Amino acid sequence: MSEPLVFMMGKFEARIPVDRMYFESHFWAVPHGDALRVGFTAYAVRLLQDVYFLDWQIDPDTQVRKKQTIGEIESSKAVSTMYAPADGRVIQFNEALLNDPSLINADNYDKGWLYEFSTTQPLLSPDEYVKVLEAGWEQTQRLLKNQFNE
Amino acid sequence: MAGRKITVVISQAPGKNPVKRHLEEEIATRLMLSGTAEVSVVPHLYDLTADHTGMLWLKSLRGNLVVLGWLYPRAIRWVLDRNGVKGKEGESRLNRIEDADADDQEHPQEEVAASRGIGAIDVPNRLIYAIDLRNDGDPEVYIKEIERLADLVSVPLVQLGFGGGLQLPVLPGNGPATNGTATAHGANGNGTPDHSHNGDTGSVISGIFSNGNSNGTNGHAESPSLPMTSPAVIGGGDVRRRWYPVIDYSRCTNCMECIDFCLFGVYGVDHSDRILVEEQDNCKKGCPACSRVCPVNAIIFPEHKTPGIAGAEGGPVEDFKIDLSKLFGAPSALEMAVLERDQELVADGRDAVGAAVGLPKRQTCQNEKTRDDLDDLMDGLDSLDL
Repeated sequence: MSEPLVFMMGKFEARIPVDRMYFESHFWAVPHGDALRVGFTAYAVRLLQDVYFLDWQIDPDTQVRKKQTIGEIESSKAVSTMYAPADGRVIQFNEALLNDPSLINADNYDKGWLYEFSTTQPLLSPDEYVKVLEAGWEQTQRLLKNQFNE
Repeated sequence: MAGRKITVVISQAPGKNPVKRHLEEEIATRLMLSGTAEVSVVPHLYDLTADHTGMLWLKSLRGNLVVLGWLYPRAIRWVLDRNGVKGKEGESRLNRIEDADADDQEHPQEEVAASRGIGAIDVPNRLIYAIDLRNDGDPEVYIKEIERLADLVSVPLVQLGFGGGLQLPVLPGNGPATNGTATAHGANGNGTPDHSHNGDTGSVISGIFSNGNSNGTNGHAESPSLPMTSPAVIGGGDVRRRWYPVIDYSRCTNCMECIDFCLFGVYGVDHSDRILVEEQDNCKKGCPACSRVCPVNAIIFPEHKTPGIAGAEGGPVEDFKIDLSKLFGAPSALEMAVLERDQELVADGRDAVGAAVGLPKRQTCQNEKTRDDLDDLMDGLDSLDL
C-alpha cells in the first residue's frame, strides 16, 4: 500500500491517504457498494479536534445540491454547519457516530465515516486535494485568526 | 446597600414585547424603590439618532453610568462612544457568566483591548457598564448587580468636574433640542415623578424618578412617598428602526478596508484620518458585508443574527468556538460579503461588481509575518482554554 501524502499544518502532519478520492471541502470518498463512503480528512479533524456532537438535518436517501445544509457538528474547538460536498444523493448516515461521534477522531479514515453518498460530479485525486490544501492554507489561518482575534 | 446612587439608563427593546417591557419596568421600579439608582429609560439605543432626546439625555449624564439594553455589551459601548457618550469600560459580572471565578472581574479591560486597536479618543475618566438584558429574565439578577456596582463605585475612583450633579436637560419632545448640553432642570433633588407615563407613549422627558440628588453629594435621599411607576421614556414614542455599522475602536486598526469595500458612502474619516461611520443611514438594511471583510472583526451590526457580527464577546459557548462552516463548503466570508453587496447594488438599480471592487488589499496581503503569527496560533490550538 502506498504511503499517504502529508500536508503540514504548522507542525502537524495531516495524512492524506492515496487509496481514495477527495472533495475540496475536506472530505474523503471511497467506493462502497454502489455508493461512496464519505468522511472528514485529517486536515478537517485537526481543525475540529474532539467531536462532541453530530446532527443530520436531512433524512437518509435525500437528493441534495452542492453546498446545501445537511447537518451540524460541534467539537471542543469548533462548530460548523455541514454542507453537501457536491450535487448528489445522501443515501445513509453512519449510525455508529450518532452514539459515539468520537469515532471521527479515533478513526477518521475508516470507522469514522459520515455518510454514504452518490454523485456523478468529478472528485479530486489525492494530489489535487493536497494542492487545494496548499492553496487554501493562508485563508484557513486567516479564518482562524479572524475568529479568535487573539 | 449602596452608599450612594449610581446612574442607570435602561434602553428599551425595540417593538413592544410585553415580557421585555415588564423586565425593564421591574428593574426600573425596583431600583427606584430601593433608592439604589437614578434611573431613566430611553428607546432602543441603537435606533437613536444623534439628536434624539434620549441620546442627548445620555450625553448630558456625568459620572459612572450603567446602561442596560437588549444588545451585546460591546455594541452598547461603541454605539454610545459613536455618539459621544464616552467612558472606560466597566466590567459587569453579568457579562462573564461563563467564568464564574469573579476575582479578576472588576478591572476595566480597556488596556488589554486598546493595545490591539487604535482605541477610542477623548475618553473621560469614568466607567460605563454595559449590560445585556438578554442575560437573564429575572430582574433580581440586575438589581443585585447594580447594587454591587453602586457599592463598587461609591468609593470615589474619580472625581470629574461639572459639580457631579445629575442634570435633567430641558428638551422638548423629540425635537432637535439643545445641543446635548444639559440644562439644569429638575436637578434640585426633589424629583418630579411623571405619573402620566405608560412606558411607550411618553413624548417628553418629563421625568425620571429622582429621589434626591444624584452624585454623592446628597444625603437627602428619601424613600419615595408617592406610588411608583417606571420612569417615562425619554423622547419616547415610536422610533424608526435603523441599521448601520458600529466600529469597535479597541479592535479597529484603521486599515481602511471597510471604506474601500463599502460602495454606499457609509464610511468616512475624521480630522485625524481615523475611520468613521460617517453616514449611518446610507447603510443598506440587513447588509453586514463590511463586517465580514474587516480583518479584525471590529465592525459590529448590533441587530445581526450572527452573534459574532452583532458584537458578542461572551455568551453562548459557540461564540468562542471557531466556525469551520466555510471550510466545509459554505461560501467564504468574502464571497458572502461580495454577494450581499451585489444584492444591494442591484436592489438600488446599480450593476453588481462582484469581487472586482474594494478588495485589492485583501487579495494581496499574503505576507510572511501574518503566516508566522497564524502558524503559531494553529500550533497553539491545544493550549487554548475554551
